[in-house]
Amino acid sequence: MRRILELPLLVVLSGVGSLAMLLPAAHAAAFSNFVVARPFFYGAIMFFLLSVLVGIATSNFRPRLVARSQLAALVGAYIWLPILFAIPFDQAVKDTTFTNAWFEMVSSFTTTGVTQYDTPARLSPSLHLWRALVGWLGGFFVLMSAVAILAPLNLGGVEVLSGRVPGRGAKGAAQITHAAGPADRMIRHSITLFPAYFGLTLVLWVLLLMAGETGMTAFCYALSTLSTSGITNGQPMSTAAGGLLSEVLVFVFMSLALTRRSMPGAVLTDRNRPIFDDHEVRLAAFFLILVPGLLFLRHWLGALAADDVLNVRAAFNALWGGLFTTMSFLTTTGFESADWQDARQWSGLNSPGLVLVGLAMMGGGVATTAGGLKLLRVYALARHGEREMERLVHPTSIGGGGDSERQLRQGGAYVAWIFFMLYAMTFAIVVAALSLRGLGFEQSLVLTVAAVTTTGPLAVMASEVPLRMIELSLSEKLILGGAMVVGRVEILAILALLSPGVWRR
Amino acid sequence: MKVIICGAGQVGWQIARHLSGENNDVTVVDFNADLVRRATDTLDVQGIVGFASYPDVLARAGARDADMIIAATHSDEVNMVTCQVAHSVFSIPRKIARLRAQSYLDAIYADLYRRDHMPIDVVISPEKEVAEAALQRLAAPATFDTESFMGGKAQLLGIVLDSDCPVLNTSLRQLSELFSTLRAIVVGVRRDERLFAPNAGDQLFAGDRIYVFSHTEDLNRTLEIFGKTTRKQERIVIVGGGNVGLAVARALEARTERMRAKIIEKSRPRAEKAADGLERTIVLNGDGMDMDVLLEAGIDRADAVLAVTDDDKTNLLVAVRAKQAGCHMAIALVNDPTLVPLMAALDIDAFINPRATTVSSILRHIRHGRVRAIYSIGDAEAEMIEAQVLSTSPLAGKLIRDTEFPEGVLVGAVMKGDKVFKPTGDLRMEEGDVIALFCMAKDVPEVERLLQVSVDFF
Repeated sequence: MRRILELPLLVVLSGVGSLAMLLPAAHAAAFSNFVVARPFFYGAIMFFLLSVLVGIATSNFRPRLVARSQLAALVGAYIWLPILFAIPFDQAVKDTTFTNAWFEMVSSFTTTGVTQYDTPARLSPSLHLWRALVGWLGGFFVLMSAVAILAPLNLGGVEVLSGRVPGRGAKGAAQITHAAGPADRMIRHSITLFPAYFGLTLVLWVLLLMAGETGMTAFCYALSTLSTSGITNGQPMSTAAGGLLSEVLVFVFMSLALTRRSMPGAVLTDRNRPIFDDHEVRLAAFFLILVPGLLFLRHWLGALAADDVLNVRAAFNALWGGLFTTMSFLTTTGFESADWQDARQWSGLNSPGLVLVGLAMMGGGVATTAGGLKLLRVYALARHGEREMERLVHPTSIGGGGDSERQLRQGGAYVAWIFFMLYAMTFAIVVAALSLRGLGFEQSLVLTVAAVTTTGPLAVMASEVPLRMIELSLSEKLILGGAMVVGRVEILAILALLSPGVWRR
Repeated sequence: MKVIICGAGQVGWQIARHLSGENNDVTVVDFNADLVRRATDTLDVQGIVGFASYPDVLARAGARDADMIIAATHSDEVNMVTCQVAHSVFSIPRKIARLRAQSYLDAIYADLYRRDHMPIDVVISPEKEVAEAALQRLAAPATFDTESFMGGKAQLLGIVLDSDCPVLNTSLRQLSELFSTLRAIVVGVRRDERLFAPNAGDQLFAGDRIYVFSHTEDLNRTLEIFGKTTRKQERIVIVGGGNVGLAVARALEARTERMRAKIIEKSRPRAEKAADGLERTIVLNGDGMDMDVLLEAGIDRADAVLAVTDDDKTNLLVAVRAKQAGCHMAIALVNDPTLVPLMAALDIDAFINPRATTVSSILRHIRHGRVRAIYSIGDAEAEMIEAQVLSTSPLAGKLIRDTEFPEGVLVGAVMKGDKVFKPTGDLRMEEGDVIALFCMAKDVPEVERLLQVSVDFF
């Protein structure tokens, strides 16, 4: 095990990715759909052998800086693995181009979950399974890389807490990492993380089955809830057979993506604080009360005009729809509650999609599967702002709350601000690029937010006229695919990789 | 009695001074030779240089036949270990330790100091006592000195008589006839730097600083009679965010009535620590003498300023500066008792002497008899002693008029059960009653004789 994990990360990932192809292959074979089973089975064998060969060839590869090479492998994984995943997919779906297959796989692996095949029957169940599985693997890869690769390098949200320069390890860490290298970290974190991630998925699947979903749908929901990808097998959450019960279950499991404390072995957690005192949990709770509350009020005022205020059931549905959808977009999953659109029947008002854009940009907790700006950064910026307001009144005053809070408000907010600026610049550049390709501004904006925050379904829900991905041109898909990768890896990590110190030898 | 005092700093020295003045055999232990020399040069004590918790050092200090050990070094842990060593190795019967850290003082962990755990008979926390004193001063803004007695049912007030005081030039006998229902009595008068216990025929003059022992319910009436009005304290500025300032701010935050406190602290790390420990109080980082910082704290609209830095001169200057800027009341923490006469000249309303408070609380545990509280007045010129009347005491069963108190002793109040009475000639003191006595320093041994039974009572 140790010997294998000491191979270059990309080789290990290719090996795992190719073995994962066996699942859709087996599924398709069980349903005698050999046209789909064949490319996946052959793909599994071929790419696994290839990984083994490359593994043997590179077994003596010793990078100069192990941590950096891991970071490079992390970015490389988002470039290489979608191609690997797309090859059997492209073979199995006869009437599509390789670019489409690649776009679909990037979207899945970055847990974005936007799909071009919006007519359910277009893909066979095995292929939907493959999409959901790739999303699930992508989710695990994010969790894993956050603790094992990004955290030691002080990236991925940790920089807000630690107060050190992003992209650098802790002082004196080299002495320890020399002995306990990345391979050890990988092994340790896999052992703690995988059982939890896998087990929770399994539990959700079983619960959803009990709620009345069919096997395949329930499995896809379970996979994409845990990985916050929002991929379904063509049956959107709003038409789930389990109805409210399914939604409640999914809601509970989505909340895992609000804080890194929900998974074992998370980085830099303050165990002294009870979980309800955690910054991210509190901020999330604030939004989960505020946004559905405001949405409900809006609908209620609408109902007032329509003289339907006393319809308690409709009112409850409107409230639940708001709550579920808020949670779903805050964790960048992108499921939509059945009651979200039904609320319009009560009040006659449309459900606003723009709110969802804002929620998705905020994102979930750091070092979770959620994308976006991350709650911790939002919190740091908010506290910094609050503190600055206090300082207007008392310029020499000192803020309380402890050293960690002070660090969060000062150094943390500074790094968060830099990240926010880079994030905003990414938006600007992608929107500009898409607009140059001829898309309208609103469409470009919604697509960009959907891609960068990895909240695919936003593209369909947030704009007035739902966008169809399949209608996008090749270059637009390439731009969006790139945006998804940038949004997933976090631009700070890419910049740390590209810093001049690395290419100068 | 043979006493070992570990730590010859402020508190250690002052306790040594008190105890050596009362014919005790005192040994001072400190690892700083200069401090030990200061103690041995100025006081009638022996000095040992060494680390207080080392058994061999304690043995040299004569721990084998010592009656009491007072551990007052700057480190809590050293104090605790010293008491443990004194108990386990030398079996010293009485152990007093000064502990500062809040966690050690938590009532939940009080079990720790049981005889079979960490044997400390009495835990003294100077910062806490000083903070309490500061709060008492704030509560009675018109006084320059206060201390509560008899479980909070009676209060000793120090009042400066202005020229507009309505009861000037009236003898005390006439006063008590005029206000017969008032449960208060003048126990001490300081005139021209001389403190004395007044007779019934003595009159009060403008400029006198008097000590009144009053029932808590009659507090405001007493103050009114002496020409003082109580005003509500709402905005308070605390200069100095050390343990004392922090404890005061904490206590103010805990109050139900809304008081707005602001702390000014010069050292940033300490200011941060203070800010961490407080919720509503605003902590400013800056020099307390800096007018900009003082104005930022709203000194011109503040009801009171509390100067509690560790430097006496800073405290005095801050208090003066604050009063000039428009603050209504200034309270300064003063360690050096020789600075006290400056108070009147500088128009500082009240002072806190940490020495007086800490020493009082330690003395309480050293005195014979059932002494419940002691408050040291002025520069150890007099004491207010609250004690229980024991069956063996010569006081028990006697009328007050029949008791032969020395000239410098006055009865402030008598508490029977939980009712506090004003002392009158025909009040009988019985066993179990609690009496509060004002006594001049020279009469302390005689009062002790009146109260005491045997050394066993502690």
